[in-house]
Amino acid sequence: MISLDTILIVTSGGLVLGAIYALMASGLAVVWTTLGIFNFAHGAFIAAGAYIGWQIAHADASGLGLVAGTLGTLLAMFVFGVLFHIALVRPFERRANIVAASVITTLAGATVIENVINLIWGPRSKQIGRMLDGDFSLGPIALSMNDLALVVIVVATLGLVGWFLGATRTGRSMRAVAQNREAAELMGLDVPRLYAAAFGLSAAMAGLAGIFIGSIRFMTPTMGADPLMKALIVVIFGGVARFTSPIYAALIIGMVEAFSTYFVGLYWTPAVLFALMMVVLVLKPAGLFGKHQRTL
Amino acid sequence: MSTPLLELRGLSGGYQPIQIFQNVDLTVEQGASIGFFGPNGHGKTTLMKTISGVLEPWRGDVIFEGQRLNRAKARGSRRWRNFNYDVVTPRRMDPKTVARAGLIHVPQGNLLFPEMTVEETLSIAPLVAAERHQSSAHESALHEKVGALFPRLQERRNHKNRFLSGGERQMVSIAAGLLADPKLLILDEPTLGLSPKLRLELCEAIKTIRAAGVPLIVIDQDIGFLTELIDVLYLFDHGSISRRLERAEIPSHDQLMAMLFGEAV
Ligand SMILES: Nc1ncnc2c1ncn2[C@@H]1O[C@H](COP(=O)(O)OP(=O)(O)OP(=O)(O)O)[C@@H](O)[C@H]1O
Ligand SMILES: [Mg+2]
Repeated sequence: MISLDTILIVTSGGLVLGAIYALMASGLAVVWTTLGIFNFAHGAFIAAGAYIGWQIAHADASGLGLVAGTLGTLLAMFVFGVLFHIALVRPFERRANIVAASVITTLAGATVIENVINLIWGPRSKQIGRMLDGDFSLGPIALSMNDLALVVIVVATLGLVGWFLGATRTGRSMRAVAQNREAAELMGLDVPRLYAAAFGLSAAMAGLAGIFIGSIRFMTPTMGADPLMKALIVVIFGGVARFTSPIYAALIIGMVEAFSTYFVGLYWTPAVLFALMMVVLVLKPAGLFGKHQRTL
Repeated sequence: MSTPLLELRGLSGGYQPIQIFQNVDLTVEQGASIGFFGPNGHGKTTLMKTISGVLEPWRGDVIFEGQRLNRAKARGSRRWRNFNYDVVTPRRMDPKTVARAGLIHVPQGNLLFPEMTVEETLSIAPLVAAERHQSSAHESALHEKVGALFPRLQERRNHKNRFLSGGERQMVSIAAGLLADPKLLILDEPTLGLSPKLRLELCEAIKTIRAAGVPLIVIDQDIGFLTELIDVLYLFDHGSISRRLERAEIPSHDQLMAMLFGEAV
C-alpha cells in the first residue's frame, strides 16, 4: 500500500521541482513572448549563473556568502543577458529569418558559454551547498528548510516579475512590444532597449535557477541541458498566454515527474513526460492554458 | 517666414524591392493641418509609415521643425542583395526619434496591444513625451482632456483591447496618440469601417482635437469631413502627389473622382 507519508514526500519533491521549473520556464517565456525567439542558451545561462554564484559565495572561492552570491549573480547575469542579446540576436532583429538564425546563434552561444565555464572552473563537479540547514515540519508536511526557502524565494521572485510586467511602465512597455512591435515603435518606445531588458531579466532568472540547482545537485558545465529541455516542455505544455501559464504548467510537470520517478522509475520518466506533452499538444496545440502563441 | 512644421523633400520609399511612392515634396506650415485623399492601395499608408520611421526612406529627407529626422547619408547601394546592412550601417530613420520629436502617427485600422487593458495602454502612451516636459501635472492635465474627449474609454478602462469594438479600438489609438502630446498628429483613416453613429462620434472628437490647436495630417475617404478639418488637401495616386488644393478650391466628391480617374467616370 502507498502510505500518506509517501504521497506527501513525493508531493513536496514535486513542489520543489515545479518551483525550479517555473523559474526557468517563465524566464524562457519572457524572451519567447517578447522577441518571438527561443533562446537555446537558457540552459547555459543556468550553468553560468550557478558558477558565478559559486565563485562569489563558496568558501573555496571568494567566500562572500550566499546572499552576496545571489545578488552578484542576478546583476552579472542581467548584464550578461543584455550583452548576449546585442551580440547574437539584435543583428537579425529586422530580418525575416530571425527565428532560424537565432536558433543557430543561441545554440552556438550556449556551446561557447559551456566551454568557457569548463576553461575557468574545470570539469570537476562542484556544489554551492544548502542555503539553510534543518528541516521544517507542519503537521504531516515535512520539507527541508532548504527546499522551503527555495519555494518561498521562487514564489516571491515570480510575484515580483509578475508585478513588474503588470504594474510598472517599463514592464507594460515590454508587454506592448511583445504584442505589437510596430505600434510600440510608433508610440516611441525604445524597442531595442526593451528587447535587451527582456533578455537581461530572463538571464537573471536563469541565474537564480542555477543557484538553486547548485544548492541541491552537483554542478557541471553542461548542467543546464536537462533543465532547458524541461523548461521547453513546460513552455510548450502550458502555453504562454499569460505570465502565470508556464508557472501552473511547471507545477504540473514537477508533480508528474516526481510521481513518475517514484512509481514508474527514473528511466521511464522522460518518456512519460513526452507522452503527456504529445497528448496535450494534440488536444490543445497552443498549450494547456494557451489561447495565442505569442503574448504576455 | 517661420520654419514649417513638417517638410518632405523628394521622399521615396516602399517595401524592398518594390518602390511604392516617389519624390514626394510637401510642406505643412506651423499651425496648419493637411489632408490626403486618394484611391486604395496607392501608397498613402506607406508614405505615413515612412514619415514616422517604421519604414526606411529610400531617398529624400523628412524635416520636422527645421530638423532633419533622417540620416543624411543614403544607405549602401545594396549591391549584395542578401547582405545584412543593419550590422554595418545604422538605419536611416528611427521611429523613436520621430515620436520623441513630437510627430505622432496613429496607424490605420489598428488593434494596439490585444492583451493589454485600455488603462494599461494609456498609461504607457505619455512615456515618449516625458522627456520634453518633466512635470507630472502636464501629464495629468492631458489625461483629463483625453478622458473628457472619450468618456466611453473611462467605462472600458479595465477591458482588454481585443474585447473592444472597432470604434473603441480606434478611440484607444487616438487617445494614446494624444497622450503623447503631439506637435503633429497623423491620423490614417481614423473612421474606416465604423458604424454611422460611431463614425459621427469619432468625427466630432477629431474636430475637437483640431479646434484645440493640434495640427493634423488626416487620411480619409470622406471629402466633406476632410474639408471641415484641414487647410490644404493633397490628392495622392500612383505613389505621388498629383494635386494640391487649398481648402477653398476643394470640389465635390464627384468632381474629385473625375480629377483622379479622368473625365470618363
Ligand atoms: N508589408 C507590405 N509588404 C509589401 N507590400 C505592401 C505591404 N503593405 C502594403 N503593401 C503594398 O503597398 C501598396 C500601397 O499600400 P498602402 O497601404 O500604402 O496604400 P493606401 O493608399 O494606404 O491604401 P488604403 O486606402 O487601402 O489604406 C499596396 O499595393 C500594397 O499591396
Ligand atoms: Mg492606408
